[in-house]
Formats: sequence, structure tokens, C-alpha cells
Amino acid sequence: MQTATPEATSALRGIETALARALTELPALSPLLEAFGPLLAEQARLRQAAPGWTGPAITVDPDRFTQGAFVLAHTQVGGGFEDMSAQLPAAARTLLPVMAKSFPALAKEFSALGKAIKSGALSPQDLAATGFGERQPEVPGVSSETLAFAAAELVRPFVERQAQDLLALVRELPWRQTCCPVCGGAPNMSALRRVNEDDAFIQAHGGRRFLRCACCATEWTHKRVSCPGCGCEEPDELVVLRDPARQHERADACKRCKSFLLCLDTGELADTPDPDIAALTMLPLAIQAKEQGFKPLAEHPWSNL
Amino acid sequence: MPKAILIDTTRCTACRGCQVGCKEWKDLPPVATKQRGTHQNPPDLGPYNFKLVRFAEHMEADGTVKWNFFPDACRHCIDAPCKSGASIEGSIIQDEATGAVIYTEKTAKEDFETIKSSCPYDIPRKDPKTKRIVKCDMCIDRVRANLLPMCVKSCAMGAMSFGERADMLKLAATRLVAVQKEFPKAQLCDMENVSVIYLVADDPKKYHKFAVADASDAMKGAPGMTRKEMLAGVFAPLRKATKQMQG
Repeated sequence: MQTATPEATSALRGIETALARALTELPALSPLLEAFGPLLAEQARLRQAAPGWTGPAITVDPDRFTQGAFVLAHTQVGGGFEDMSAQLPAAARTLLPVMAKSFPALAKEFSALGKAIKSGALSPQDLAATGFGERQPEVPGVSSETLAFAAAELVRPFVERQAQDLLALVRELPWRQTCCPVCGGAPNMSALRRVNEDDAFIQAHGGRRFLRCACCATEWTHKRVSCPGCGCEEPDELVVLRDPARQHERADACKRCKSFLLCLDTGELADTPDPDIAALTMLPLAIQAKEQGFKPLAEHPWSNL
Repeated sequence: MPKAILIDTTRCTACRGCQVGCKEWKDLPPVATKQRGTHQNPPDLGPYNFKLVRFAEHMEADGTVKWNFFPDACRHCIDAPCKSGASIEGSIIQDEATGAVIYTEKTAKEDFETIKSSCPYDIPRKDPKTKRIVKCDMCIDRVRANLLPMCVKSCAMGAMSFGERADMLKLAATRLVAVQKEFPKAQLCDMENVSVIYLVADDPKKYHKFAVADASDAMKGAPGMTRKEMLAGVFAPLRKATKQMQG
């Protein structure tokens, strides 16, 4: 399996560079970019400092894995990402003010949430469980939607950092599924990347297709001409939606299962943008796909704006 | 941040995709040519050929014939002697963001021989129709649109890489170590001074006369500076003043 895990520092630099470029190229999207850009940058910093997987060593059975049992399925029943609740109060202190600035209409709710975390009215364990959609506690002055959004974004950097460690366990093993090899999540983004193979043969210009997990941001290769939703490979059923002015951005849709997946074609790009910023700039394309009756395989935090 | 291109000639198969891609993107007209007993075609860089894959055959001491390929084009020098030699403000400029050395329409009023002779790689050519001095511009239009230079995009063998200079230097060093295992004489050509860095497997002279900077007239006592560069620098203000007087 070929995978892609950007280095922490280059990930942050990539977000800042891609954000600056997107703001210049797409001024109409500046409210969206200015809202989520700082949030993504702060999450990258948190991810950089996050502890990673510190739990018991996981022994991956290569046969089971190859047949589709992702890494977390190798833990005990009910196992999942390691509990990161101990880190969440500190993360909330840095992330909630950024979110309050990015989303001024929700600033009061983020402030109330911060106070609830600080006072202990909302325990870190409840906050983590809310981030995974397992609980829905009541917090005075905070709507359930805002709480779910903030908790999911607080948990995300720690999940992504743990996934980086877990991916290392299976990097050399084959994986042909459309779900994430680490957590089993569905992809919400994909990219075509030229991979410089160290051999003497002609190299494909189109590049290999990488799917990106909506939950833990793990990337893995998958065959290009195939719907990740239903496996359809019929050319007549597979549609590529594009804005002619932005040829490197596309939505790969399937008429059979009515799903779509955003795709960044990096083959011709000098500087590959951060996948999250790229997905932000592709929101108009996602809206266009939805208007044509397609549904995303998995959503981004901004998908329903 | 400055950009750079790494050209790993050990991967080049001389398919000339870069040469054709460049010509296509720049929409340059065809030129009359003829078979001269080599695949190198046209024979040299020209006003309508900014990129040329050079073919060089030579015989080793053991009697084996070696065939070297060299995709030649402007090196986009860090301190470009041609820019120092220019007498008209704005005729030769260097893009700050990429480091690309760009010849503008004002080069039509420059002295071609001065600019040509200041180049240690024998790159500049004069367009007989427009009188402009022309060469590769690192596909500045594409790079500003976040697209790869056309030669890099069209390279089917992965011989060319484009990116931040620091990243390319790192990649160049890695490739050099790998290539030297098979070719001990492998080296990187003038990597400290140029933005287009060539990795060659043998003596650069076995690839092209100007594969590395022409230092045959290097100034004694002025390390790193050739007579051409020195003269270009010394006479630039004089030529500039003359041009201004001539309007």
C-alpha cells in the first residue's frame, strides 16, 4: 500500500501557503477561507505537539488486514482511538478562542463551552465522547450543534496524530478496500499524485489515486477508475464534474450509487495544496454535485454550510 | 522562495518530450532542419527552440561507445551575468518569487553579442523578426499559476523535478549518492550558482561543451568571475549611458 503522511512542519507551512494562494485566487470564498483557515492551522500545531499512539502495542495479522480488517479492528472489542481526554482542556484553551474569532456569531457559545470545560461542568471524558458522536451532554448556553462541532474539531488533531503512528504498522501491507486502513472511516477527499518511482520505466503522468479518511486523515492508494462508494467501473456510469477555470479540481461522481468524492488532480501542479484547504476551495464543486443529486461519501466540517 | 529544477540526466532517455512540450507551450514556429547524422535536432538552440536535448557520443578507453543526453536550456543563474551585462533598465529581470531570469521586449534594444557572450552557458539567441533576445523563462506564466514548467510536466521518465530550491538541493544530494554507487564520477553541475541543476554521470564535458560554466577565461585574482562576466559588469554603466543618450 502506498500512503502519504506529510511531515508536521511542512503540513503547517502547506496550510499557510495554500491558504494565501486560495485567498488570492478565489476572493469570493474569503469568508469561508478566513473562517476555517486559522482553525486548520491551529489544529496542525496541536497535531504536531500531540502524543500519538501510546497505548498497548497492536499486533496486526497481515492476512486479516489484507482481507479488510483495518488496524483498529485488531484491538479488543470496542477498541478505538486511545482516550485523549487528558489533552482536551489544554487544547480547548488554544482552539476555542480561534474558533470564536473565526465564527463570531458563535463566539458566546464557544466562550460558554470554554467555561464549562474549565469549571468541570463538562468533563473531558464527556467532551471526547461528544467528539466521537457517542454522547450529547447538555451544556448551558451551548447548542447541541455547536457542542458537537467544537468537540469533533478538538478531538481531530489527536486522532490524526495517533493514526500516523498506526499507519506505520501496515505501510508495507496491501490494502484494496475503500475504507480507511487505520480506522475504517469513509473517504471525504481524494488526490491524484505523481509518485516518483525509483525505477527506469516510463512514469504515469496521471499519478496514483489516494483516498483520504474523513475521520483520521489517513491516505491510501486505490484504483483510479472505480467508484469508492459501490465499486462501479463502468465508464458510462462514472462522471467527472469540473469547473473549466480550475481544471485540477474535480468531483468524481457515480450515477449508479449517486455518490461523489472530491478529487484534487496534482499532476500538473507545482505546489500541491494542503488537502483540507483544497477541499475548502472545492466547496462550489461539492454544491454543484449535490444539486445534481449526488451525495458525498463522507462530509467535511463545512459541507453543510 | 526561489525555485529550482533538478535534471537527472541518468534517467533521461532523450525522448525529447521536454523539447516538444516547450515548443508547443510557447507556440514557437517550426524551423527548417536536416539530417546531420545525429538525433540532435535542430542542431542547436535557436530563437524558436529554447530547449534542446543534446546527444553526445564518445568512446571509452575500453572501446565501448557511450551516448550521453543533455536537455539544455537556460540555467537561471542566481547572479545572472547576462542581467549584469544588460544596459537597459528592465530588459533582463529576475523574478523575486521564483528566481527566474526573464528577457523582456526591451532586449530588442540590447547589444546581442554582449548579452550572448556574457552567458557562461551559451544560451541567449536573437529572434530575427522581433529583434528580441530570447531564451527559456522557466515557464513563468505557468509557475505563477501554480503549474509545473512544461519541460518538467512532459518528462516521461521522471528525470526532471521542480520545487523549492532547498527541497531540490536535498533531492539532488540524495540522487547524487545513489548514482555515484554506479557512476563514481557523477556530479552536480554548478549547483551553488544556478537554479537549473544537472546531475551527470561522467565528466560534464562528455555531455556538452557548456554543461558547466565556461571558465576557460577565468580571471586570475577574481575567483568565481570570468573575463566575460567582468567585462559585462564593467561596461554595463557605459552602455547604459550611451543608450540613454541615443534615446
